[in-house]
Amino acid sequence: MRPPARVHRGVPGTRQLAAALLLAALTRVGPALAATLVISVQSPDGHALAGAVVTARPLDGPGKRPPPVRAIVDQVDRAFAPDLLVIPVGSTVEFPNSDSVSHQIYSFSPTKRFKLPLYRGKPYPPVQFDQAGVVTLGCNIHDDMLAYLVVTDAPYFGRTDKSGAWVAEVPRGRYRVSIWHPRMRDAETDLERELTVGDADHAVLTLHLAKALLPAPITYRPHSWDY
Amino acid sequence: MLEGRPAGAPRALPVPAARCCRAACLALLAFGASARAADWEASLDMRLLYSDAYRSFMDGGIGTTRFDRNDTGLRLGRARLAFSAPLGELWSMHFDASAWDDKDRSPVGVTEAYLQFRPYPFSGYRLRIKAGAFYPPVSLENRAAGWESPYTLSYSAINTWLGVEVRTLGVEAQLDWLGRRTGHSFDLSATGGAFGWNEGAGVVVASDGFMLHDRQTPVFGRVGQPGAALLNGVGPFLEFDGHVGAYAGLEARYLDRVVLRVLRYENRADPTVVDFVSGAIAWDTRFSSAGLRVESETGWTGIVQWLGGETAIAPGGQLSSWPFRAEFALLSKRFGRHTLSARYDHFRVDSNSPPPDFEPYGRQRGQAFTAAWLFEASSHWRFALEWLAVRSHSYNRPENLQGPPLATETQIQLAVRYALGSGL
Repeated sequence: MRPPARVHRGVPGTRQLAAALLLAALTRVGPALAATLVISVQSPDGHALAGAVVTARPLDGPGKRPPPVRAIVDQVDRAFAPDLLVIPVGSTVEFPNSDSVSHQIYSFSPTKRFKLPLYRGKPYPPVQFDQAGVVTLGCNIHDDMLAYLVVTDAPYFGRTDKSGAWVAEVPRGRYRVSIWHPRMRDAETDLERELTVGDADHAVLTLHLAKALLPAPITYRPHSWDY
Repeated sequence: MLEGRPAGAPRALPVPAARCCRAACLALLAFGASARAADWEASLDMRLLYSDAYRSFMDGGIGTTRFDRNDTGLRLGRARLAFSAPLGELWSMHFDASAWDDKDRSPVGVTEAYLQFRPYPFSGYRLRIKAGAFYPPVSLENRAAGWESPYTLSYSAINTWLGVEVRTLGVEAQLDWLGRRTGHSFDLSATGGAFGWNEGAGVVVASDGFMLHDRQTPVFGRVGQPGAALLNGVGPFLEFDGHVGAYAGLEARYLDRVVLRVLRYENRADPTVVDFVSGAIAWDTRFSSAGLRVESETGWTGIVQWLGGETAIAPGGQLSSWPFRAEFALLSKRFGRHTLSARYDHFRVDSNSPPPDFEPYGRQRGQAFTAAWLFEASSHWRFALEWLAVRSHSYNRPENLQGPPLATETQIQLAVRYALGSGL
C-alpha cells in the first residue's frame, strides 16, 4: 500500500505563502467575488517542487475557457527550449531551429501526432493543438532531445515557482486541482484534490508527492556523444 | 558489384579500390546535392609522445601499443573529415574518413560510410536500417564522433580489436521500443546485421594478440606493411568464401543513465577456404560481448565490458583455433570541461595448434592500466594527457626477435586536437 499524498488545508504559515498573498493583494484586479488560490507542491522529503504543472477546474460550472496562445519551442544547442510548456487547447506552437544542425521533431502521443523536419534557416508553419493532454516531443535525429507540451482545457493553470507555489486569482467556488510533472512517479489521479475557495481571502492547498521524482536528465554530456 | 562493366573489359582497378571510388563518388554527389543541409566536421589531432614499447604492429612488430620506442616525439594522432547529409526526409548518408600517417594503402582511409533509413517512430516503435560500412553496436566506450572514446586516447583492448578487425560491410536493422516516450523509464532495442568482407578478421588477434591503441583499420585497408612479419600487411576486409556473416544484439536503457548491451557475432567464414589470388586464409571468427555503462548526474561514469570468442583456420583440413577473451572496467569523473579516467584491462589469447608441433603460437596473457586527463578547452580545442602501461606475456614476442615473453610497455601521450565543423 503506498502512502497517500497528504493534503493540508489552511494556512501553513510559510514565508513563501506570505509573499504570495502580499503579491496577490497588491495585484488584485479581479471581480469582487474572487479570492486567491495558492497551491504548493512538495517532494516526499518536504522540499519545494519547482516547475510542476498545476491545473484548477471549477466544479460548479464550465468556467471560462482560456484564450488560445501562440507559443514558441525553439531548438537551441540540440535541446528543446523550453523543455516543458503549458498551453490552452486550440493554441499554436511554432518550432524554429536556432541550431546549425538539422532536426526532425515528432510526436506520436495520442493527443497530437505530427512530424516536422527542421532544416537550417527554413521557417515552418506552426502546429495547432486542439485536444487536451500531454504531448511528448522528440527528435528523430538526436535521441536525447525530449520535451513536453501540456495542452489543457482548464481555465486556471500554470507552473510552480522556485518556492514550489502557484498562485491564481479565481472566483469563489469549488475546484478540482491536478498536478503533473514529467518526472513524477505518482499516478496523476492520486494527486487530484477538490477544495472550496470560500469566504476567506485565500485558500491554500499543499500537495506532497508520495514518491521521489525520477532523476533529471544528465546535462553535462556533450550532445555529439551517443546518449 | 561491377555490373556497369561490359563483359571481358579489363578491370582498371582492383575490386576494393573500385568499390571505394564508387562509394566516394556517390558520397560526393550526395554531398553536393544537399550541401546546405549537410553537417560536417574536420579535426586534426597531434601527439607528443614517449614510448618504450616494442615494435608497433603497423611496422611488423607485436608491440601492444600504437606507437613504439622509435616513434617518441611529435606524431600525427589522426586527421579526420566527416560529414552527414539528409537524402530526402527519411534517408541520410554518413561518411567518415581519416589519415593516420602510417603508410596504409592510401594516405586517407574511410572508416565508416553508410546510408541510413530512419523513418519517424510509430506508436512508440522505431525502425532503423543501415547499409554500407559501419561499426556493429558493441562498444559502450567509443561513443564520441569518429568512433573515439571520450574518456581516453587509447581504447580498451576489446574496442581496439574491434576497430582493427571488425566492421559491418553489409546491412543492419534495429527495432527500438521507445518506452521513455510512452510514460516508462526505460527503452529496449533489438539489432540484427548481415555482412560480408570479413574473412580476414581474426588474423590480428591470433598473431599479435590484444593491443591498446586508437588506430582503426580503414575499410579495405590493411594492418601493417606488406613484407613485414608477422602480419605482412593483412587486410581484415576480404570476401572469398561466399558466406554471409551475421550478428544479433539486444540493448536496454534506463532513462539516460544506464545502458546494458549484449551481442553475438559470427562471421561464418569457412576456415578451410584459402584465397588463391592473395593467399589469404579465411578466419572463422565468433564472439559474444556484454557491457554495462552507468552514468550519474554528478559526472561519474562506470563501464564494464566483456568479450569472449574464438577464431579458427583449417587450411588443408587441419584445424587451429585461438580462443580469446578480454574484459575491462573504466571509471571516469567529469569536472566541468575536465574528464579524469582510469581503466583496467585484462586479456588472454589461447592457442590450440594442431600436431605435430603443438607450439602455442599466438598465446598471450596481459593486463593494462590506463589513466587519462582530457580537457575540452572549447568546442574547437581539446587537450589530453594519457599514461598507458601494458604488462603482457606473449609466446610470439621472442619468436618475433623482439624481446622476452614477459614485458611491460609504457606509452605517454600529450594530445592537442583542433576541430572545425557545422555543429561546433
